[in-house]
Amino acid sequence: MKTKLLFLISFLFFTTLFFAQNTISGRVVDQKGKPVAGANIYLEGTYDGATSSETGEFSFETTETGNKFLVVSFLLFETFKKEIDVANFKDQTVKLRENINALDAVVITAGTLESGDKARVSVLKPLDIVTTAGSAGNIIAALQTLPGTQSVGEDGRLFVRGGEASETQTFVDGIRVAQPYGATTNNLPTRSRFSPFLFSGIAFSTGGYSAEYGEALSSVLLLNTQDEADHDKTDIGLMTVGLSLGNTQKWKKSSLSVNMAYINLAPYQAAIPQNVDWNSPYQSLGGETVYRYNFTNGIFKLYASFDSEKFDLNQKNINFENPVRTDMNNNNFYLNSSYKGTFGTGWQITSGISYGYSKNKLKYDVNDIDNDENAAQLKLKLSKKVSNHFKLSFGTDYFITKFNEDFDDNVSLQASNGYNSNIAAFYTEGDIQFSKNLAAKVGFRISNNSLLDETAIAPRASLAYKVSKSSQFSFAYGDFSQAPVVNYIKYSKYHQFESEKAKHYILNYQFTKPGQTFRAEAYYKDYSNLVQYDTKDIQYNSVFNNNGSGYAKGLDLFWRDSNLYKNLEYWISYSYIDSERQYKNFPTMSTPNFIANHTLSIVTKYFITDWKSQIGFTNSYSSGRPYNDPNQTQFMNGKTKAYNSLSFNWAYLLTTQKILYFSVSNILGTQNVFGYDYARTPDVNGVYQRQAVVPTADRFFFLGFFWTISKDKNENQLKNL
Amino acid sequence: MTKIITAITLFICSLLSAQTQFEQGMGKAFGLWKEGKNAEASAMFERIAAADKNSYLPNYYVALINTTAAFTEKDKTKIDLMLTKAQDALDVELIKDQNNAELHVLQALIYTAYVVADPMTNGMKYSAKVMEAYAKAKAIDPNNPRAVFGEADYQLGGAKWTGVDTKPLCAQVDKAIELFATFKPETPFSPKWGLDRALEAQKNCKK
Repeated sequence: MKTKLLFLISFLFFTTLFFAQNTISGRVVDQKGKPVAGANIYLEGTYDGATSSETGEFSFETTETGNKFLVVSFLLFETFKKEIDVANFKDQTVKLRENINALDAVVITAGTLESGDKARVSVLKPLDIVTTAGSAGNIIAALQTLPGTQSVGEDGRLFVRGGEASETQTFVDGIRVAQPYGATTNNLPTRSRFSPFLFSGIAFSTGGYSAEYGEALSSVLLLNTQDEADHDKTDIGLMTVGLSLGNTQKWKKSSLSVNMAYINLAPYQAAIPQNVDWNSPYQSLGGETVYRYNFTNGIFKLYASFDSEKFDLNQKNINFENPVRTDMNNNNFYLNSSYKGTFGTGWQITSGISYGYSKNKLKYDVNDIDNDENAAQLKLKLSKKVSNHFKLSFGTDYFITKFNEDFDDNVSLQASNGYNSNIAAFYTEGDIQFSKNLAAKVGFRISNNSLLDETAIAPRASLAYKVSKSSQFSFAYGDFSQAPVVNYIKYSKYHQFESEKAKHYILNYQFTKPGQTFRAEAYYKDYSNLVQYDTKDIQYNSVFNNNGSGYAKGLDLFWRDSNLYKNLEYWISYSYIDSERQYKNFPTMSTPNFIANHTLSIVTKYFITDWKSQIGFTNSYSSGRPYNDPNQTQFMNGKTKAYNSLSFNWAYLLTTQKILYFSVSNILGTQNVFGYDYARTPDVNGVYQRQAVVPTADRFFFLGFFWTISKDKNENQLKNL
Repeated sequence: MTKIITAITLFICSLLSAQTQFEQGMGKAFGLWKEGKNAEASAMFERIAAADKNSYLPNYYVALINTTAAFTEKDKTKIDLMLTKAQDALDVELIKDQNNAELHVLQALIYTAYVVADPMTNGMKYSAKVMEAYAKAKAIDPNNPRAVFGEADYQLGGAKWTGVDTKPLCAQVDKAIELFATFKPETPFSPKWGLDRALEAQKNCKK
């Protein structure tokens, strides 16, 4: 027993003796030799370590001996690990490499305006779509407060940097939407088919975008559905213009959201004086659903929407004595399924299929015009992260479009026109991160269009350089091509058309601080191969060619700030553009009628805690737009007066789950004129008479009550408004 | 025989010293935290977490220190860094064990910190997640005082402007205080914080 005790004591004694102390010391610096404070320095597998001081120095004692791994870790840097001899590591300098995946690495920003969860710098927050006065829940209207866009009030679609509305393509979860807008006709503005409700992120590129996207000359709008539903809930909305109902169910791995809306503008049209004469008000019934299933390594999403719209009205037309009747019926269906996941080491796969079907039945005066379009896209994209410095992506997609239109004037003329188009494309792209301050993206896209019988290669490249902690420059270049729009190619014979082409050059400067963003972007766009025709209207016997050309150049400025005054957020965007084209039936190079040289938007939002209210104002201004006056010898010589509209909204929280929402557009009742329609033939005095193109009504009023029923008492529909 | 005894003694010794090493390390880290040396304490807990993968506590405290520090930090860039660090540490443990109420309470706290840092941007996005995390915690352990209090406290925080009825929430605060009285932490280092803030909330309820 005695020996045992003795042994134990001596053992314990010796062990403490064994634990001779070694001092480990040194200094932690970054690549530039600047001290790194707060780094964690320790011997792997032990508790021995220290934190670096303000001067980057550290020192600690250890009882370990021999060779051990020294670890130096700090969030912004790659973890440093090195085998050292514990007895001989004194006053050494440890240099940390920047972790380029860290939060503040440079990101290419030329041309791209992002919103949502993943965006490093949000120009627009998800909530903005719905709380921007004048947007009325229309994604497009909210985007029109950003620089680079033109507000074309009689059309409603997105016009980007001197491009026609058709030059912008919309993608949901990376897959194209063939018919993104609601039905429209002569000078009645349309709106986006998508409710902002189901989307968590929006990236809006005004040029120079990735080789992943094709068939868009000017711009792409990328909408991403939410990966995850919040939780079980039911939303009810009662509005002066209709009803809405939504429900979300969430299970362990999957969730389902369904939304339905019925819109009827009859009450609004009765209350507000209208500039047109409605036979039956605008009505629509629509629904959307998203199903998501989470696998261990990926997510499957199914998005489907349908809507059915109709309206019937009489519009004054300068060429007819009596107003002309337009009766429109539209049915639209869209399905999109996608899978996104990871496999192997650093591989990512994105694949999907979309199908869109649109059927229009239009009665215009005595004519019947019926058309239907079937459009599908198949897509597969793979990317592999080769290292922290290099990522390779490649993919392929296939577009199928089938269009048919039947015309019947109910007297003598009957005609049927249509086309089938198949476009196959392949692209590849490399993301190179040279350092935390310098990044590049280089790629190309090759596509083949069977209808036009042509193959094209489009190179794309962009570069970003960070000059200081808060500011950076980006540059982007790209070749873009797009098949001519349906109005032309429905008359296509024997591969007669070629794709229209554009080149983009963009230089971007961005400054960001928490709560503040400033962007300035200068661009030049060179258009070629634009379609021209020789008749007054596009018709079956027009002679077409692809010899048109044009340019657009300008400057976009954006400033957003939430630090100026507590609870106040505002942004200002200004765009200057100079653009001319010789296309369509233009006799000379001229500025098209949808372009205003100066556009200015000011958006403000203010939260008043005592009133439980958020109020907002938006003012949109654009300078006059050109129009062609046939009484003058010079083409497109007229200019409308400037456009201005001040809108207001007010959201009031009755309780957390009940919201009262009120909005009114154009408070000041400015009489805006978008342009002029001239008579086809001069009157007896030899003068062409004209008629102003004006909004269907000067103001829009909206009052709604929104109620959310869920277990979470803080959830409400503020984001849906 | 001697050999066997020696072996056993050695084994016990190493066991004992390992045990004390963990306790010593944890004790030292808590000491640093009490002194207000957040970065040092967090680094110490990180070292323990790296050396000792059996206990969820070191990573739990890395997350807790950085989350609570984020509440008082003004610099938004730093807040982001702290919360990213907290989330990374918590993720390590959440992957290992989904059935620990304390981890879900901490998850709710991280989301709350995001909401507090920028209510305009994060309010809508994270509110539902905060509530969901508390719901998970309560489903695992309905009598966890931190889960019961946290859930009520989060809603009380928003009540100022949402006008929600505070009575049932205050009742939950009272219930949480009773639960704190009977709560027995599993080990000396297990989470036991929250009573002070609950008492504070109770005071506000009675105003």
